[in-house]
Amino acid sequence: MEITLSHYLLLAGAVFTTGMVGFVIRRNAIVMLMCVELMLSSTNIVFAAFSRFHGNADGHVFVLMNFAVAAAEAAIGLAILVEIFRRRRTVNVDDFKTLME
Amino acid sequence: MELLNLNIPSWSDLAYWRPEAILCGTFLAALLGDLIGRGRRPAISFVISVFGLITAGAYSVAAVLHGGAAHTIMGDLIIVDGMAAFFRLLFILAGLATVLFSWTAEEIMGRKRENKAEFFYLTVLMTAAMMVMAEARDLLMLFLSMEAVGLVSYVMAGYMRTSLRSTEASLKYVIFGAVSSGIMLYGLSLLYGMTGAMTFDGIRAGLLAGEVNGLSLLITVILILAGMSYKIAAVPFHFWCPDVYEGAPTPVAAIFSVGPKAAGFALMIRFFYTTLAAGADPSASAPLIELINWPLLMAVIAAVTMTYGNLVALRQLNVKRMLAYSSISHVGYLLMGFVLLTDAGLAAILFYLAVYTLMNLGAFFVVVALNNHIKSEELDDYAGIGFRAPWLGTMMVIFLASLTGVPPFAGFAGKFYVFTAVMDRQWFWLAILAALNSVVGLYYYFRVVKAMFLTRPAEGADTTPLKIHWLQYTVLAVLAVPTLVLGFWFGPLKVLADQAIGLLSTGM
Amino acid sequence: MDTMLPMGSVDVGMNGHFATVLIFVLIGFFFAAVALIVAKLLRPHDPNPTKLTTYECGEETRGSSWIRFNVRFYLVALFFIVFDVEVIFLYPWAVVFKHLLPLPELGVLVFWEMVIFLVILSLGLAYIWVKGDLDWVKKLVDRAEDEPPRRNPLLKSVTNEEGSQ
Repeated sequence: MEITLSHYLLLAGAVFTTGMVGFVIRRNAIVMLMCVELMLSSTNIVFAAFSRFHGNADGHVFVLMNFAVAAAEAAIGLAILVEIFRRRRTVNVDDFKTLME
Repeated sequence: MELLNLNIPSWSDLAYWRPEAILCGTFLAALLGDLIGRGRRPAISFVISVFGLITAGAYSVAAVLHGGAAHTIMGDLIIVDGMAAFFRLLFILAGLATVLFSWTAEEIMGRKRENKAEFFYLTVLMTAAMMVMAEARDLLMLFLSMEAVGLVSYVMAGYMRTSLRSTEASLKYVIFGAVSSGIMLYGLSLLYGMTGAMTFDGIRAGLLAGEVNGLSLLITVILILAGMSYKIAAVPFHFWCPDVYEGAPTPVAAIFSVGPKAAGFALMIRFFYTTLAAGADPSASAPLIELINWPLLMAVIAAVTMTYGNLVALRQLNVKRMLAYSSISHVGYLLMGFVLLTDAGLAAILFYLAVYTLMNLGAFFVVVALNNHIKSEELDDYAGIGFRAPWLGTMMVIFLASLTGVPPFAGFAGKFYVFTAVMDRQWFWLAILAALNSVVGLYYYFRVVKAMFLTRPAEGADTTPLKIHWLQYTVLAVLAVPTLVLGFWFGPLKVLADQAIGLLSTGM
Repeated sequence: MDTMLPMGSVDVGMNGHFATVLIFVLIGFFFAAVALIVAKLLRPHDPNPTKLTTYECGEETRGSSWIRFNVRFYLVALFFIVFDVEVIFLYPWAVVFKHLLPLPELGVLVFWEMVIFLVILSLGLAYIWVKGDLDWVKKLVDRAEDEPPRRNPLLKSVTNEEGSQ
């Protein structure tokens, strides 16, 4: 069996869906952030696969940049979570209701 | 080794990119100043930030006066053209006003704050990132600039790190921001897959050359729109907006309500106009817009956004939250200019954005000034405040009347252009709906005016006049005077907006 | 991709590459199984209650292993992520730098671009250093001492909400 472009796209779609579903059903903020990272990683697969398919390096460059952005996003998300945890002793998003109407 | 066939970056590119480079340098210098002062000398960062913003503004004005053609720089990633110049000025105005006004804002400079200086250089960094958003002409730069603005705003929303409300706002912002940018990124990757190009005009060429499947293009566009709608807070990606505005410090909410929104619109204009719309060759691209039924899609989003924002704003008792919902409804009006992707509509968006920046920033700043004294943003606490601070009250009336869109204020001119752009192409139902919405807006905006001037304060309440800092009065006057003047003398700004869009269509 | 093959080797195709992986996996399982079976055959079988405890010597375990880690570990992880991942840009840069260096202008540009990048990165390091986030025990006293007590009663409502740490 030859691994073709569509296999990569299917894999990426599966990873993206996993992340999306996880984001929707989990209530732990850290797990939600991890699911978002999964979504970002799935796009990396798509970019790398298409980059190879089209024969230009643009997609690969995008993947590198995406790594850095994902790390920065995770870092800021975690920093905010640490700060919240210090005051509330919880990271469950259902407990954050100060700003509801 | 053979280099790829692209526009190789060089030092000379920086000649067209001075404002952004200066702002990046300002950010680093102000950060260093903060470190040297060990976090206890916010004045160092304040002075550096103000100086940097003014210098960058001077260079931007010089670039406008010079005029000239569009320049593609940084290896095809960035384009500096008329529209970029327009948004540069807008963002520097917003950034400078926010920095100056916040110097006396209790929420930023209160004694308990340990990170006062950070606000100033984060604002500078955000201004630079927003300018890049307006200049991106490549998917990579689009994503990076959006993330740069996003990351800075997450930090700024959580600026009051000891406050439950502020950190909660920040968390909501970062989690949903991350997921929406993930969704957008997936759309971008599919678009790259369809066309094999990263630059906007390359994508356009790819879409026109290949056999594009309407459904897959529609899905891709919707995925990308999700990320952008989040940035501009259009329904259904608006839910963060009221919470973040309420939880974040008011000066931060002020710049959020104008800066990233305007930058999001700038990005949308360049992206969708270049990839989908007519551009220089009207006949070629109509199929693309028709293929995904773009006008209907946009019209529905615009209609839902403005109606939702207005109806929910009706029952808000917190002025900050009310302004948040009102900003959602203004996004709805602005999106009307997108329905047809015509030059007239886009120029109307630019005009409206400039006016909106002035009046919305002003309204938020009045809330900041009042918050310094009464420590509240509840409508009930505004009772009779107009008599304690008459000038502040008068300016609030100007800003709110302009937000409503009553003549002869600038907001009216803005709405007028957007409405005519839609009616020119027979989208009457949308224009009528928008007009009805404006009437709804009248009710809740004037409820604030009524509270300030027509309601008696409770028995025994403080009635001493409020002392407002001269710097705050100056900034407010700088925002209020154009809001008044542009109401009847809007020709020059309109010409500027038309030119910006005209250059966009020819300078590709 | 065939340019990547070493001289003299044969292109076995993707299935060929995966066959190698499969062989490695099989050998791995085989070795583990052999080691376990041989040990089973050779060792004496003589259990008693003391021997069956988790730790024959040392403290007995108590409570759940799902304890909360000190929040500082997250901070360290955070700094690590940021500085570790930014190095991702150094690697491709280092690979092409040798080819770009001889080119006039571009070589210098590429070099200074990376210098600027590293300076910005080290400013970030300086920031967390000055803010005291590199110390395991953060000095909170330092910051509290230059905060004089509040006099203005109007400002109280802000402090109430914020609480103290």
